[in-house]
Amino acid sequence: MTLVRTLPALIALVFAATASAQQTLVINSFGGDYEKTHRELIITPFEKQNNVKVQVTTVYSADTVAQLRAQKERPQFDVVHLSGGLDATAAAEGLLQPIQPGQLSNYKDLYPIAMQNLASGRGPMYHIAVIGLLYRTDKLKPAPASWKDVFESKLAKHLVWTDVSNQWGMLGFLMVNQVLGGTLDNVNPALDAIKKTLPGATIVSKSPEIQQAFAQSDAWLAPYAQDYAFTLRKAGLPVQFIQPREGAPIAPVTINLVKGRPNTELALKFIDYTLRPEVQAGWANAMRYSPVNKQTKLGPEVAAEVTVGEAAMSKLVEIDANQLSARRAAITEAWKRAIAK
Amino acid sequence: MPAASAASPRLEAAALIAPGAALLLAAFVLPVLQLLSVSFVAADGSFSLDAYARLISDAFYFGVTARTLRVAALITLITLLLGFPLAYVAARGSPRTALWISVLVITPLLTSVVIRTFGWLVVLGRNGLLAQVLQPLGLVEPGFALMRTETGVVIALAQVLLPFMVLTLIGSIRAVDMRLEEAARTMGAGFGATLARVTIPLSLPGIVGGSLLVFALSISSFITPALVGGPRLPFLAGSIFESATATLDWPFAAAQSALLLLAVLLLFVPVTLLRRERRG
Repeated sequence: MTLVRTLPALIALVFAATASAQQTLVINSFGGDYEKTHRELIITPFEKQNNVKVQVTTVYSADTVAQLRAQKERPQFDVVHLSGGLDATAAAEGLLQPIQPGQLSNYKDLYPIAMQNLASGRGPMYHIAVIGLLYRTDKLKPAPASWKDVFESKLAKHLVWTDVSNQWGMLGFLMVNQVLGGTLDNVNPALDAIKKTLPGATIVSKSPEIQQAFAQSDAWLAPYAQDYAFTLRKAGLPVQFIQPREGAPIAPVTINLVKGRPNTELALKFIDYTLRPEVQAGWANAMRYSPVNKQTKLGPEVAAEVTVGEAAMSKLVEIDANQLSARRAAITEAWKRAIAK
Repeated sequence: MPAASAASPRLEAAALIAPGAALLLAAFVLPVLQLLSVSFVAADGSFSLDAYARLISDAFYFGVTARTLRVAALITLITLLLGFPLAYVAARGSPRTALWISVLVITPLLTSVVIRTFGWLVVLGRNGLLAQVLQPLGLVEPGFALMRTETGVVIALAQVLLPFMVLTLIGSIRAVDMRLEEAARTMGAGFGATLARVTIPLSLPGIVGGSLLVFALSISSFITPALVGGPRLPFLAGSIFESATATLDWPFAAAQSALLLLAVLLLFVPVTLLRRERRG
């Protein structure tokens, strides 16, 4: 009697289970407002369009590579978003699946710089961020024009450095080092100069702390990314971004295919979706990331706050990701020792 | 039937422990052993003690370890000094007092440690509550903040870990027979003397247990020292995380983890010996 009663329920359950057995795509994102925008622009529309489920894990780039390394025998991610040249590290360790140009329909519309690393097994760039100086327009008149302006002694108390564990902190640090005459093998010029700004200057490790520093701790100047100026302005702070005259490092964020996963086709579709002009425009409008797709249409105020076009891009300074990869540990160690109290 | 089970109480006990022990073995002992094995690997894959040599000989990492142990010892002392009176009142007071103190102590534990730490960020920051109170009184200069200082870390972590000390002590003090204290009082000992010569010695197991717990939690604490201390005050747990994810130096991260484990195990040995002695 009991079996007869439960059997239909069991059958219905089995049907429901198989019907809802959609494909799942596992990706990482960077949390907070970024992840919210990520879901609006890409994740949710992609899920609907392809009737799949996208599982998002909030984890920053360095931790993602560490996890991929630990999972090498059985990776848990399908698509990973990586900043700071960590895609070079991941590719060198054999964690990524190379992408052929023919596998992406948007390939022909990308700026050359965005796809230059496909041949070495790395993924395409999908954001271009530019590292320069964020400054308060009401406190710093005229605006700082050189990277060396951060070392003005009276500004020390109002300076915010970002720890090199953050990819964009690392690029800003390396640029300052370059301007002061250092190289990737010799970061002492920057370390000595930064040590002199301590203990007045603040050192933060996560980007929301920069916002806190500007809002609550009287910060006026911070080497960081162009798009973050927009985030601060949205929060009501009078902050502008400037590209110092010595140049601004390009800080690409890449989207990569993980090696050894079963749903490569779906993952490639996701990557292709991320490179569409409408999606790129959406990112520029929401967070002022510079687009990688030549077909992206932007309004004039947005275009003024991002870096677009071949000409503007060619002026950006590129810090070699492979060389950085090889020296990252040494640079991080030197930094840690220099800033420790 | 009864005869069979009575004949093998040890077997019965073993069968009851088996699932828990199996879980502990699989989920704790084996991964820890695997972690320790990683610490003995050199860059080329061969056996090497480089990671440990570096940890001991490098002044920077020695400083990190020293700071971690020093702060943990200080926090243990502070939670003991603050926690004992609280626990005593809760154990000896009226049921209502005991209830209120328990609620006050347990409620913070219901909140995530991250949230509690953020509360301290607001209080200890440059324009935070503490600065706003002390500055008008002229006790501190403008721009004063306990954020990003060792003192700030001690204060925040002591508050976060106080509940563990208090809860351990309450149980221990309750176990001390009140009649012993009363007897001491009738023989002429004052409140302080009773405390010193009766209550505290008899609640020693709780004091030791609570101290061990707080010390172990302090040295392995990651979030609070990272958020309150900032990048300029490295602690051991943060250093492990950084070695594992930023510099990707896994042998070194494993060596530091082994050091952390050793620090706690070293304390367990005298404690266990002490307990065995007292029971015997």
